[in-house]
Amino acid sequence: MASERTGKEADSSQQTSRNGAVLQIEELFKHFGGIRAVNGATFRVAPKTITALIGPNGAGKTTLFNVVTGFYRGDRGSVAFDGDQVFGQPPYELARRGMVRTFQITKALAAMPVIDNMMLAAPEQPGERFRNLLLRPGAVRAREREVRQQAMELLEVFNLTELADDYAGTLSGGQRKLLELARALMAEPKLLLLDEPMAGINPTLGARLLDHMERLRRERGVTFLFIEHDMEVVMNHSDRVVVMAEGRVIAEGEPHEVRNDRRVIDAYLGETVIDTVHGERLSQ
Amino acid sequence: MSPEFGELVPLALTFESLTDVDFWISVGVLAGIYAIVALGLQVNTGFTGIVNFGAAGFMAIGAYSMAILVLEVGLSFWVSLPLAMLITMLFGAIVGLPSLRLRADYFAIATIAMAEMVRLFAQNARGLTGGNQGIFCADDDPSNCYANSWRDVSDSINGVVENFWSDPATLFPLLLVIWATVGIATVALIYLQKSPWGRVLRAIREDEDAARALGKNTLLFKLQSLAIAALLGAFGGFFLALNLATLHPIDFEPLITFFAFSVLVLGGLANYKGVFVGAILFWFVIEATRFIELPDPPFTETRIAALRLAITGLLLIGLMAFRPQGLFGKRQEMVLGE
Repeated sequence: MASERTGKEADSSQQTSRNGAVLQIEELFKHFGGIRAVNGATFRVAPKTITALIGPNGAGKTTLFNVVTGFYRGDRGSVAFDGDQVFGQPPYELARRGMVRTFQITKALAAMPVIDNMMLAAPEQPGERFRNLLLRPGAVRAREREVRQQAMELLEVFNLTELADDYAGTLSGGQRKLLELARALMAEPKLLLLDEPMAGINPTLGARLLDHMERLRRERGVTFLFIEHDMEVVMNHSDRVVVMAEGRVIAEGEPHEVRNDRRVIDAYLGETVIDTVHGERLSQ
Repeated sequence: MSPEFGELVPLALTFESLTDVDFWISVGVLAGIYAIVALGLQVNTGFTGIVNFGAAGFMAIGAYSMAILVLEVGLSFWVSLPLAMLITMLFGAIVGLPSLRLRADYFAIATIAMAEMVRLFAQNARGLTGGNQGIFCADDDPSNCYANSWRDVSDSINGVVENFWSDPATLFPLLLVIWATVGIATVALIYLQKSPWGRVLRAIREDEDAARALGKNTLLFKLQSLAIAALLGAFGGFFLALNLATLHPIDFEPLITFFAFSVLVLGGLANYKGVFVGAILFWFVIEATRFIELPDPPFTETRIAALRLAITGLLLIGLMAFRPQGLFGKRQEMVLGE
């Protein structure tokens, strides 16, 4: 498999941690006043897998995402990414290391054209510094050309080419989800954390999004961790499932193992496991 | 026209003043100063989405630093200018470091507070700023005034201008320099705005969290944006100081900031061209309404002065009602940005 890959993608997949996990979370805590949103969560994500993070409303999934990606300051715990301890690092630092996230409510940069949304996300842009704008305009232009080309190629993959010059705010909900995924890819991630990527989009587009995920995993070696409520998606499209309830990980395993786990069924008490649950309490 | 008819007309404008060169030069000077300051606000509010209400504070820091460096420290005017720019930018960064972590509306409040602190400091630190007496020339040497070096330059510019215009207006060289600054600043800002740096600013305006999630150190970019506004504010302060020839705390009241903001919304957000059209229009209205003649009583001079601002305010309200995006703003960006 490694032979298919070239350049950056190849070395990103080699840089997994010593113990083989891309992401290793241990005893993570985050409370808001008296509410323990994340209460000692522990799990690991193996490289080049698609791991689903599920759990009833209020289980702390989104809070966990926010702590792991640096948007919230966790109380304590350990987050190892690619073998390095990254607990407490700011979001931009984590993104530069290759941990890129999307949000439950899409954050398309509405009053910016689609192409600018894409180009923004590219790493190592000399033109983001005054010094280079003044002293190395050639290098700035060269990188811009490169980034633009890369962006157009990705838009092509996601069938967004014709919308390149439109404001992102004019896109439909589903197109925005695609744009957000394409944009995250521009940041050259090793690990993509997707918060409910299927929420609010029609099944056809949802299926396309899943195809993209599987292909990216296969072709680029990207690892996925995604929060999802649609059990059909979770069961059919993930390699591993992590189940959270009340801030802790209560079960972990392959989809069929988790499906029959007594603790999981208990946690979802009152909700059928094969069901789509929209909206989340406590998670924002 | 018979005298009776004249008494029947309640409102009269004397249009002769509008053909007066001095009128247009003074409008041009004020418009230019405010255009420079509003360019800075445009970088902040229009392109970064941080509402900076502290423009007057930056102007004051720039102007007072320059005057104090010349008169108290004894540096040359030409050394004091770049030093005062540095001081103002540094000041902007120091103010921004804690306050830019605040949410947009709280940041706006913090910037007003900052500007007011600067003004009140200038009012009370009499030894340094002359307090309400103002600052103009050195105490121990009345012939040493901060504007001296500029006067020499101004005279030599007018010396050249005399070849084309027999009796050039005193303010004409200032007008030239101010608008040259506006031009250079605009070109530089447009270049920056089209660069990847400008793209990050716009992303912050749209959604700061999205920009952070994509690897951008947003605080750093916001600090840079604020430092640019501070630099342009310092320029505005210099020109104001040279135009007035004496500095008083009252020249840096919050009203100054709001005038600059009026210029900004008049021209439209996220657009540099709008800034100078807005500035000229705004100051034309403010200055032209000076010539409104109404029977006194009941229209005393102070009442007419208040009326001028009321008219300007009405025009702004009208603009917001019929063209909320301003003269050159993009309606689509405004709607989508919400």
